[in-house]
Amino acid sequence: MQLNPSEISDLIKKKIENFDLSTQVHTEGTVVSVTDGIVRIHGLSQAMQGEMLEFPDHTFGMALNLERDSVGAVILGSYQHISEGDTVRCTGKILEVPVGEALLGRVVDALGNPIDGKGPIDCIETSPIEKIAPGVIARQSVDQPVQLGLKSIDSMIPVGRGQRELIIGDRQTGKTAIAVDAIINQKGTGIKCIYVAIGQKRSSVANVVRKLEEHDALAHTIIVVASASESAALQFIAPYTGCTMGEYFRDQGEDALIIYDDLTKQAWAYRQVSLLLRRPPGREAYPGDVFYLHSRLLERASRINAKEVEKLTAGKVTGKTGSLTALPIIETQGGDVSAFVPTNVISITDGQIFLESNLFNSGIRPAVNAGLSVSRVGGAAQTKIIKKLGGGTRLDLAQYRELAAFAQFASDLDESTRKQIERGQRVTELMKQKQYSPMSVAQMGISLFAANEGFLDNIEVNKVLDFEAALLSYFKSEHAELMDSINATGDFSNDIGASIRSGIETFVKTHSW
Amino acid sequence: MNEIATLARPYAVAVFKRAKETNSSKQWSKNLSFLAAVLSDNTIFGMLDDPKVGKTRLLTLLQDICADQLDQEGSNFLKLLIENNRLNLIPAIMELFETYKAEDEGFIDIDVTTAYAFTKESKQHFNEMLERNFGKKVNMKVVVDSSLIGGVLVRAGDQVIDGSVRGQLQQLAQRL
Repeated sequence: MQLNPSEISDLIKKKIENFDLSTQVHTEGTVVSVTDGIVRIHGLSQAMQGEMLEFPDHTFGMALNLERDSVGAVILGSYQHISEGDTVRCTGKILEVPVGEALLGRVVDALGNPIDGKGPIDCIETSPIEKIAPGVIARQSVDQPVQLGLKSIDSMIPVGRGQRELIIGDRQTGKTAIAVDAIINQKGTGIKCIYVAIGQKRSSVANVVRKLEEHDALAHTIIVVASASESAALQFIAPYTGCTMGEYFRDQGEDALIIYDDLTKQAWAYRQVSLLLRRPPGREAYPGDVFYLHSRLLERASRINAKEVEKLTAGKVTGKTGSLTALPIIETQGGDVSAFVPTNVISITDGQIFLESNLFNSGIRPAVNAGLSVSRVGGAAQTKIIKKLGGGTRLDLAQYRELAAFAQFASDLDESTRKQIERGQRVTELMKQKQYSPMSVAQMGISLFAANEGFLDNIEVNKVLDFEAALLSYFKSEHAELMDSINATGDFSNDIGASIRSGIETFVKTHSW
Repeated sequence: MNEIATLARPYAVAVFKRAKETNSSKQWSKNLSFLAAVLSDNTIFGMLDDPKVGKTRLLTLLQDICADQLDQEGSNFLKLLIENNRLNLIPAIMELFETYKAEDEGFIDIDVTTAYAFTKESKQHFNEMLERNFGKKVNMKVVVDSSLIGGVLVRAGDQVIDGSVRGQLQQLAQRL
């Protein structure tokens, strides 16, 4: 952005004109000790829990422990210049971050400051990072889908708008890949995305940003970064910052999708802050309120009804519901889902997508374990066609899992068992999908239809994906209208079924793959 | 620092209650400030943690020093503190005691920093204004500091009322 000199002086002039010389009344305290970003302050008897405190040189902190004679606070950012005896002021405000449309397409830190070098962000509104989730009256049940664009997830573990669906798995199992695909697939759907990177390497964040840019998906996305090099306090508040930015869209009657990548690292950061504040440690040295840390965050992801949207926008938006869908990510250690934080988050969310490293290593990507993954509310939100056709897939895979151990004795098995095993192998193969290539509802519908109706049974297992690709490109060129109508409505009827069937039959007769 | 205040609080509360019962807060103020003064002496302070100096010896020593300054209750309090190894809390106890006393008597300590020295009338006027503002009698301590450039800075405990030109300039700088 270019600023010419007159603009700057005009701005300054305006600011001087509007400057009111009021006497400032504030509360002051003195820094007693500084240790690893934790400050103890004497005085400040008026400070609120979570209040922003002003330190010298425009540094801000957050009051976390209000004790009888002192206040314990964390410094947000660098704390090297703060020393014993410095004065600290109350600001009278709970920590706030900028919100609004202007943040879309930008990369910001945990306090909402731009870090992508694209100039200042023009946000008029700010909003506190800690808010109470919408009440029971304000909510509406989840009945619209969020298409993640992945066959295996959309067919078996559907996610609805306003749902919280956990993505859980060991390191290197493709958790972030699912999240990035989900963001890419929201292009053109009107769903705004927020990607919160907590405690990650800057290089991996830069990678995600570049990939989103390449796929033209950055324009509808806000990226909030508290990287591994930033203070634990910033890593701890980053998810709340992202959530507040997402809530803005929800409260405007729009739909938003937020990804917390990942909450394990946030819990670590919070553990560090808590231990330095000398709060008593509990299981795995986490403080007593680590459950509340995540529950209050995820509870804010919700779908609110039109009445509430009307109330929140003061009547400007009517007849629209708003939603914030959350995809928290948890990294397990050695597949241990019974550790403290994973069990907590599993119990908070409305289901989980369970990724396994042995599946990943055997080439099944996304490495979704269909047996352990569930979606508790998404079924109500699935499009008709996927719901109708996806049910068979789940069943096929479940039966296959039971029989898979016998697969090597195939010649000794009876006809029906062998058929089930073969069907299972083909469906498993079909569920593989390349990264950055999300599929539309119609494409998924046709693939699933082919699997359900046995069109894959005569195809060699390693040819299944080639068959699918050829089939889909055939439908794209020959039956574009059918695809468009399925994508538009998501409906499934006998007529649609019949036309898909005839399409596949002609394809099988006339094409090779 | 906060730990010291926590330890000193029960003693200060007890002393304050006793002083109120017997109507002797002036005497107690004197007791405490004298003890604090004695302890501020380095030789005495060094003896507190000295293993070679036993409790009885410390007690006789301090009683000798304070003989005509402490009343009976004051010397009992001294015994108690020595018994509990809490002599080092005396300054904190005194500070807390004075706060309780001021609160009880409806006084408030206010530090006023001003750019130019007050005249007698303006000081009187300012005092009345502060009393009206805080709803309490005011113990005003005035300091002249020309770095304020103009105006006054009032400090009552945690609360700061900044009406100085320096503060306003800082405000302007921040806005720009």
